Amino acid sequence: MADYVIETWNLSKQYDGKAGCKNISLQVPRGSVFGFLGQNGAGKSTFVRTMLGLLHPTNGQAVMLGQPIESVESRRKVGYLPELFRYPDWLTGIQLLEHHAELCGLSRSARKPVIRDVLARVGLSGREKERIRGYSKGMQQRIGLACALLSDPELIFLDEPTSALDPIGRKEVRELIAELRDQGKTVFLNSHLLSEMESVCNHVGIIHRGELVVHGEWQKLSAVLPQVELTLGAGSRGALEQLPAFVTQKNLVKSDAELEQWLVTLDQEGRVPQLLEVLLARGAAVHEVVRKRQSLEEVFLYWVQKKEGEAHVAHHENHV
Amino acid sequence: MWPIMKITYREMLSKRIFTITILMSLAFLLLFGVATGYASRELGDILGNDAESLLQRSFLSTQLLGMGLYIGSFITALLAILSSVGSIASEVESHQIDTWLARALPRSKYLLGKFCGLASMLALYALMMFLGLLGINQFVGGGALAVPFSAGQVLSGLGFFVLMPIILVCVSLLLSSITTTVTGGIVLIILYGISFIGGFVEQLGSIVGEASLVNIGIISSLLFPTDSLFRKATIALFDTADDPLSFASQGLFGSTSAPSDAMLVYTLFYGAAALWLAVRLFARRDV
Repeated sequence: MADYVIETWNLSKQYDGKAGCKNISLQVPRGSVFGFLGQNGAGKSTFVRTMLGLLHPTNGQAVMLGQPIESVESRRKVGYLPELFRYPDWLTGIQLLEHHAELCGLSRSARKPVIRDVLARVGLSGREKERIRGYSKGMQQRIGLACALLSDPELIFLDEPTSALDPIGRKEVRELIAELRDQGKTVFLNSHLLSEMESVCNHVGIIHRGELVVHGEWQKLSAVLPQVELTLGAGSRGALEQLPAFVTQKNLVKSDAELEQWLVTLDQEGRVPQLLEVLLARGAAVHEVVRKRQSLEEVFLYWVQKKEGEAHVAHHENHV
Repeated sequence: MWPIMKITYREMLSKRIFTITILMSLAFLLLFGVATGYASRELGDILGNDAESLLQRSFLSTQLLGMGLYIGSFITALLAILSSVGSIASEVESHQIDTWLARALPRSKYLLGKFCGLASMLALYALMMFLGLLGINQFVGGGALAVPFSAGQVLSGLGFFVLMPIILVCVSLLLSSITTTVTGGIVLIILYGISFIGGFVEQLGSIVGEASLVNIGIISSLLFPTDSLFRKATIALFDTADDPLSFASQGLFGSTSAPSDAMLVYTLFYGAAALWLAVRLFARRDV
């Protein structure tokens, strides 16, 4: 049986019947890095805040680490870095971590090494005695990350965790997420920076206008369009004329005096041998066949446009 | 709850309003001490030892201390309002509360932790203010202006004086948990003002024998009962209002119309109900 750290059934949080998130049903497997993708205002943060009990759902149910989200117990082994990270600026970094450590139930003797460790992990060692009001935005995000890691959580929600970080900081956060994944932690990553998520996520969910469009393993979702990149000899263009129906689209990517590169879209997976058979029978000089994987951005746009198209059709039908 | 209490202490001490209030309170006590010292010296010279002089001396001493206690109670109330009305609302507005509440911490514990922290700090402040004023009256006022009272009277008066900011914190937390800092602050200051003015109107009505004015005072006390606690404190300290020779019933800061014990019970119930409501409503609130 699959082991999920998050399971939701039609979870909704709406404001006067609008905005927020609607009928979200998803499962997040233990040990995964789950990327929750969506445009600004799509409902990503609303979903996370509902999971953490900051917002009360208007409908549906959810379980986190085996406990209903209404119970305090569901948050015992959870870390959270909010999108709007604001901390009491009159505290020093270490005072903030000490208060959080106390709330996590860490004993006085256990606190020191844990705090030292998280400070090192987020790159704030040596700055912990400064007041938070003197921290840059990036440092505040780092101290927030340290807070999220304090309780050695099994599940960590990171809501736009690199929004205030410089490129080096972003790379460090990506490495930290990979490290957490290697430790068997589950990371729920909210972001609209698709390129960043692509490198760390193994599961993704796409949310659009408050509704979950699709979710699942990134590897599977990235094959939304079976495509191959064909490199043919310059004189082989004729072989691509009037191809069988399973080739839905073909586009010339680039060409020079000797070679031509084509992007060919197939109607389903497993058509590549048939395609090659046809091309070779027509005497094409096939230099290279590479299966094309969609980028996260392409996958995201594919599903969002598909959803928009469905919504448009439904809207049109309702008016006819 | 203890970690929230601790952070509440730290927050209060770090806020400029607390430091300013402490400094202004010390300035007020100094001024009160100087005034008491001068008054004591002057009155010692003017008043003799005959019965009339003794009555005059007693009247003046209770009036001076009553005035000090009134202003002390006003400062304490302002500190209670300003330090507690934003304690939850401002954290919700700035989203500072998110990381605290995302922990395995029931909201009731968060709110009660805030209450215990604020109430204990303000109770300590009120205690210092009360004892400071009494100390000045006793030691600076000397023989001429020292109000004679027993330890029981002091304890009883202190209890009422300290209870006032605690009740204010209860109501303040209720407002802070359901509305914004500005709205809560305005509502609370208006309520306190109603109680403040209502107290005067009631005393005035009692002096001129106008029942409608007394009723207005009673209604304002029911709406917000902090003024009746001040009246109770002065009565407990100076005398009983039923005594025809009571000095507690005279002058601008006296209590001609004494709040009943039922009013005291009502006040306690009022505070407890506000706190209970705050816990209930905050648990349901989206932050």
